[in-house]
Amino acid sequence: MGVPPAGVVVAATKPHRRSICSPKNRFCSMALVTERVRYIGRKLKKVFRCESRVTQEKSSISDGERINSSNMKKRSSLHALRAVALTLPGLAQATDGDPSTFTFQYGRYEEGKRELFDTKNDEFDPIVVDSIFGNVSLNFLDRFKFSGNYTQDTWSGATPITTAPLQFMFDTPTGASSFAATNVFVDADFDPVDTSVFTPSGLLKDTQLVHMVTSASVETRKQGDFGLTYEWDEAAATVGGGLSSESDYESHFVNIGGSLDFNSKLTTVDFGMSYTWSDIDVNLDPRFDPYIDEGNHGDDVEISIVDGNRVTSVTGKRRDWSANLGLTQVLNKNALIESSIGYTRSSGFLENAYKVVGFLFVEPMPGMPFLSGNFDGVLEQRPDVRNQWVWDNRLVHYVEPLDASVHADYRLYHDDWGITAHTLELDWNQPLGRGWTVIPRVRYYSQNEADFYQPFFLFKQAKPLLTPGRPDIDFSQVPISEYSSDHRLSGFGTLSGGITIAKQIGDAVSLKAGFEYYTHQGGLKLGGGGEDDFADFDYWAANASLTVDLSAKFLPVLSSSSNDHFGLHRHRGHSGGHAPAGVMFSHMLPSAGDFMVGYRYMRSERHGDILHGTGSVSDATIISQGCGNVQCSFAPRQMIMNMHMLDIMYAPTDWLNLVLMPQFVDMEMDLRPLPGQSLDVGEHQHGGNSTHETGGVGDTGLYALIKLFETPGHHLHMALGGTAPTGDVAQTSIREEHPPLGAAGTVEEFVHYGMQNGSGTWDFRPSLTYTGQGGAFSWGGQLSGIIRLDHRNDSGFAFGDEFKSTLWTSYNLFSWLSASVRMVYTRQGEIRGEYDGPHSEIGPMDFPESYGGEYWDLGLGLSSMIPFSGFEGNRLAFEWIQPLNDDVNGFQLEREGSLIASWSISY
Amino acid sequence: MNNTKRIRAILLLCLVFGILSCSTVAPWERGRLAKPHMALVPFPEQGLLREHNYNSREAASGGGASSGGGCGCY
Repeated sequence: MGVPPAGVVVAATKPHRRSICSPKNRFCSMALVTERVRYIGRKLKKVFRCESRVTQEKSSISDGERINSSNMKKRSSLHALRAVALTLPGLAQATDGDPSTFTFQYGRYEEGKRELFDTKNDEFDPIVVDSIFGNVSLNFLDRFKFSGNYTQDTWSGATPITTAPLQFMFDTPTGASSFAATNVFVDADFDPVDTSVFTPSGLLKDTQLVHMVTSASVETRKQGDFGLTYEWDEAAATVGGGLSSESDYESHFVNIGGSLDFNSKLTTVDFGMSYTWSDIDVNLDPRFDPYIDEGNHGDDVEISIVDGNRVTSVTGKRRDWSANLGLTQVLNKNALIESSIGYTRSSGFLENAYKVVGFLFVEPMPGMPFLSGNFDGVLEQRPDVRNQWVWDNRLVHYVEPLDASVHADYRLYHDDWGITAHTLELDWNQPLGRGWTVIPRVRYYSQNEADFYQPFFLFKQAKPLLTPGRPDIDFSQVPISEYSSDHRLSGFGTLSGGITIAKQIGDAVSLKAGFEYYTHQGGLKLGGGGEDDFADFDYWAANASLTVDLSAKFLPVLSSSSNDHFGLHRHRGHSGGHAPAGVMFSHMLPSAGDFMVGYRYMRSERHGDILHGTGSVSDATIISQGCGNVQCSFAPRQMIMNMHMLDIMYAPTDWLNLVLMPQFVDMEMDLRPLPGQSLDVGEHQHGGNSTHETGGVGDTGLYALIKLFETPGHHLHMALGGTAPTGDVAQTSIREEHPPLGAAGTVEEFVHYGMQNGSGTWDFRPSLTYTGQGGAFSWGGQLSGIIRLDHRNDSGFAFGDEFKSTLWTSYNLFSWLSASVRMVYTRQGEIRGEYDGPHSEIGPMDFPESYGGEYWDLGLGLSSMIPFSGFEGNRLAFEWIQPLNDDVNGFQLEREGSLIASWSISY
Repeated sequence: MNNTKRIRAILLLCLVFGILSCSTVAPWERGRLAKPHMALVPFPEQGLLREHNYNSREAASGGGASSGGGCGCY
């Protein structure tokens, strides 16, 4: 939600963050280089190009090892010949430079509970974030490098919106949350007092502060970005750009950069510039809207009536310009240092539109022991410009007795909002042999507060009114124009520590897992004077990633093979021929020890009419029949589901494959009010935002594939296994209630059935697959089922069982490309049971009988074995699933179709 | 820091690196520097995630060469 204090997210395209052994920084020893260097004999200068893969293989070579010069000359001339051959057009392969890789990473962030004393807000769950990250780095045409990244964050939970004296807090009329009162009492020192306890000396002073938190429904951010680099022998240039999208914040960015090597590559200079432009469009939480004065934001605020409700939206534009200049220097054979300076100028809407500031107005009355005051929430106001400078220093030093390295980073930050921050980080990189590395790390951060930060603001004056008799503040009479109570702008320190464990498996695969604990405390601020401990919090973060080398292992096969590279790999990796992208478990790995990594993306959309059985129905019918005994007030307008699946497959023997399939999902449902039904006060309202989002980790598949029968051209196997209920089925949404009397309140309730992240049940998913091949044709069929092994999940229901059958045929258009057509029949039962907690019943999607049905689909697909040299073994496939006929249970939104994209590589 | 001081600091920095750059490490002496764990950022994708967490909780996120967008702030 909202705008960060500084919302620039680092893209993965930093040119100076590459491995020291990348083509740009070729500080590789001659001993390493002799394997695969590209030695340009024409130039007398020594130009070394090496791969980090080579480096890893050879890193066991003692660095003390010297190669005598005559030996070296012989090798050099041999390699010069090879290098010349490699530079001939067409012969250059993707073997130069860093390897081409695919990386997938999952990250989890969980905040600990904050100290909220006994306010109602204490019942909200703290924030939780699931992140997935995918990267493809490709080297091609010898000197080009492309890097594409996809990032997706899904978060939910409660976050502070402002701070108030604890004594001012009261429970809202619905009792669901706490908010600060508007009429308050203070003592002669203007300190809050406890009005509930009377002592002989009067009321007790209580200056304790507390965060006011709000809980938001699930939100998702998606970012795609890319970088393209061209490398010369001693220089590189990069262009990049990307897009980040959230429901309330959209950002676009471009960047250029370059690097130059000097001094026999002992010195590298990096430079870069970037420009980011963002649009912010926030709908304020209608629960708190009545308590917040938006008058200070002028034209940024727009009040409109959507579906009969008052909606306050805040819009703004933000621009960020950044530039940096860095220098990397080899100090000696054991150490190198990087130092860089950076500058960012941000302008425009720099506020976080969700953050509120408390204004306490008290008119001084000398001699009175107690005074009454007004406490008002207003939207925060930050300066429209922020200039930021950073000086970043990194030292990497080798520790000889342990073959380890120590990384020491110090970062100094300063901006013209008055914030100066210091960051110190120490990492110890310890290789343990057999491909294992452990990295313990510790980090300390400290910042002082922004000039305009205070937990709340006291004005010793009567509240200035814009219009007598109305509560609106006359902001021209307020002595300050810039103010924020965002605790991220307060003074504090943080201490965090963690460990990363990495394991390299062969040449092709590396696995990494990391854990970190982080504590934020006012008392940790450098030099003291940080914010009080009410703002303290902690979090833990964990991540796991998989990186595969897209070109590993295939080179030896290539060099000894005949001309029919593709036939070889097709046979090797895909004995089942080219099954369409949407068919799971369409092939088995042919020999023991084989390994496959795949990624599959599926997007399904529903949009259009509401179907009942096979035909569409009118809104009047939905209202009267779609919601059981009550009348429907909403119907789904659109539903989008995205699914990311990893497919990790290993063959312990030639008749058995084991498959692990983690899934990540996100969903979006857009509702429309049915005519004449939405204006009832107290009905389901979405605060003008009728879109629901959910997402996160889905169910995890575990399977065994067993070969049943195989002759040349025919193959039969079955899959036994299923999914474990790792996906959350207790996803909720926040519903606003607008009772006829009193303020708006909220109810947290289960989101519509189809939007949970998983099934919540252990599901048995057997399948039987036949594939055949003859000439340019291949064909196949599959029967599969889903049987829910539990009667009910933790939320009280179970999805219906499913049976699916499919038949396909594909034709090889070229040796590397095939096209497929297939038919799919699916039958799924309705939901059994129902939610056992609060849930809405406002539309057909809230009723178990409106799930499942019989469906016929046509699939059209393309499948390709990547024909480019250096990427053999990579398969890319797409399929569009076109619904042909629906016969739905109950009332359901029409299906639009599904797109499936899959990629895999076998070793 | 006023401008003169800033310029002096930059000049000093240039001088330091100028002297450092006189050091010579022959290519065949760079084996240690070439080890994967001697990279400036050995695991960039993990670094990105950690930075993203810090950026959403600390004020000092900007100012680098980073480009990127969105908020993703929670």
